[in-house]
Amino acid sequence: MAPALKRVLRPILLHGTLMLVLALWLVPLIYMVSVGLRTPAQAFNPVLFAWPVTFANFVTVLRDNPLGGIFLNSLIVTVATVVLVVLVASMVSFAMSVLRLPGGSALYAVLLTTLMVPLASLVLPLAILLKTFGWVNSYAGLIFPYVALGVPFAMVVLKAFLDDTPRMLFEAATVDGCTPWQCYRHVALPVIRPALAFVAIWQFIVTWNEFFLALIVLTKPELKTVTIVPMQYSGLYMANPGALFAILTLIALPLIVLYVLVQRAFVAGLLAGAVKG
Amino acid sequence: MSTLVQPTAGTAPATRFRPAAVRGRPSHYAFVLPAVLLFVLFIAYPILWVMGQSLYAESPQTGRSFVGLANYLAAFQDRTFWLVLRNMLLWGLITIPVQMLIGGLLAYAIERHTKRLRGFYRTMFFLPVVTSVSVVSLVWVQIYAPYYGIAQEYLRHLGITISSSLIGDSTFAIYALIVVNIWQWTGFSMLLYIAGIANLSEEVLDAAKIDGAAGWRLATDVVVPMLAPATKSLLLLGVIGTLQTFPIVHLMTGGGPNHASEVFGTAIFKQSFILGDTGMGATLSVIVLVIALALTLVQIVLLGTRFAAVRA
Repeated sequence: MAPALKRVLRPILLHGTLMLVLALWLVPLIYMVSVGLRTPAQAFNPVLFAWPVTFANFVTVLRDNPLGGIFLNSLIVTVATVVLVVLVASMVSFAMSVLRLPGGSALYAVLLTTLMVPLASLVLPLAILLKTFGWVNSYAGLIFPYVALGVPFAMVVLKAFLDDTPRMLFEAATVDGCTPWQCYRHVALPVIRPALAFVAIWQFIVTWNEFFLALIVLTKPELKTVTIVPMQYSGLYMANPGALFAILTLIALPLIVLYVLVQRAFVAGLLAGAVKG
Repeated sequence: MSTLVQPTAGTAPATRFRPAAVRGRPSHYAFVLPAVLLFVLFIAYPILWVMGQSLYAESPQTGRSFVGLANYLAAFQDRTFWLVLRNMLLWGLITIPVQMLIGGLLAYAIERHTKRLRGFYRTMFFLPVVTSVSVVSLVWVQIYAPYYGIAQEYLRHLGITISSSLIGDSTFAIYALIVVNIWQWTGFSMLLYIAGIANLSEEVLDAAKIDGAAGWRLATDVVVPMLAPATKSLLLLGVIGTLQTFPIVHLMTGGGPNHASEVFGTAIFKQSFILGDTGMGATLSVIVLVIALALTLVQIVLLGTRFAAVRA
């Protein structure tokens, strides 16, 4: 093939293929929105797109359901978890990487093992423990286990990042009279900011979408989070897929929008070596 | 390390930092205290608790009694337990390689061959990962539904006619769920490979090109081996992900029909919270934990000690 022709054809072929794959890949999400936009007469039509399009379902479900409170519950649990994970994991990584705390590597190995513990094996004892604490049906009952489960991954990422930071920086700070706390706060935290962004965004996604523990800990309707309510709606709107898919779309939307807004920082953190490939 | 900083007149020697740290001042332990407390309370104690509890039987009629290993023997004699193992095996053996393959191909196409649309593709293929698993599960229930689901409709156009519901059939159910799982998480594999490809050394790639490697040869002989760390971490995360599978199965089939799609998550949930048999729930918890740790150990022995997700 002539090089000039190849130069023109290649991108067209490549983007054509990628766009086609992407369109197929997103069919379930497109289908979700599409059914949400249908009239009752078209709701059970087994096609991807159907006419006419109506926003009636969205209006109805927004009017009938207290979605605001559900989002607020998820937001409280998620933000508290993210803040605590970032705080606890950055402190422990700082102690291991910069302060070289005796026993640090043993602690690292122990916490690392936590990454290999399937949540399925912890739900029963956690449920019993939270009952003893009186933390069933409380935000704390979700937040603290989430933090404990989230710290190891964050720690591994942050420690790797700190290990790659020149020691000079910390030594210079110490020479200038910084205490370990000041060194952590004013030197380490700013340096690992890209990794912190990555860890925080990933923890946000994981926590917002966590299902198993939320199912067990939250039984009061007014405390339920975004992952728990869709089950109820699937019963409530069994005969009305249009309304069901409208509410599912609304439930999925905030995190999708948020991810699109922060994806640049997320990928930047990833590429900066937050996770070494 | 301290040689990096030349002590200059008027300042304390740079080495002062390290010895103070090595002594481990009491205040330094404050940095690790929260992490240790959380670990002890919410990870270590629960693990010890399930280990103990798995040796007891608990029923509303007879109360709690020590039974030794009887729970384990009962589990091994239960047909459902072997179904769970089979399903977990299928789940891992299908999900992990397929996600690696699709994720790797996408990452390679996007990173090496696109420029202006790179961010767009990265974000769009990642969307299923950030879509709530509950939403994903319920949407797929409708996709698989008999009569009005689009899966059967489009399969029929391809000449494949299925009369029963895909997730209501004891043969198909587990595979139908695996498809959903692959769809939801492939974006994650893609992103890890993107990080790996972005960090590839251009010099090595250029050298390979000069040696005549191009196109597929370059991809398979040079890039794939260089992505081994990302592949290893995906394997490790894939195994754990498989063992803690729960929401998709719980929401779509509940482990049915007749336990055909049962996984450890749903089995533990049923024994512990529906039947109230905490002894058996704890026993299954211990078994899945032992399997997870054993498989991790095998991988570390075979593939190296470093936790690759994070360090190359």
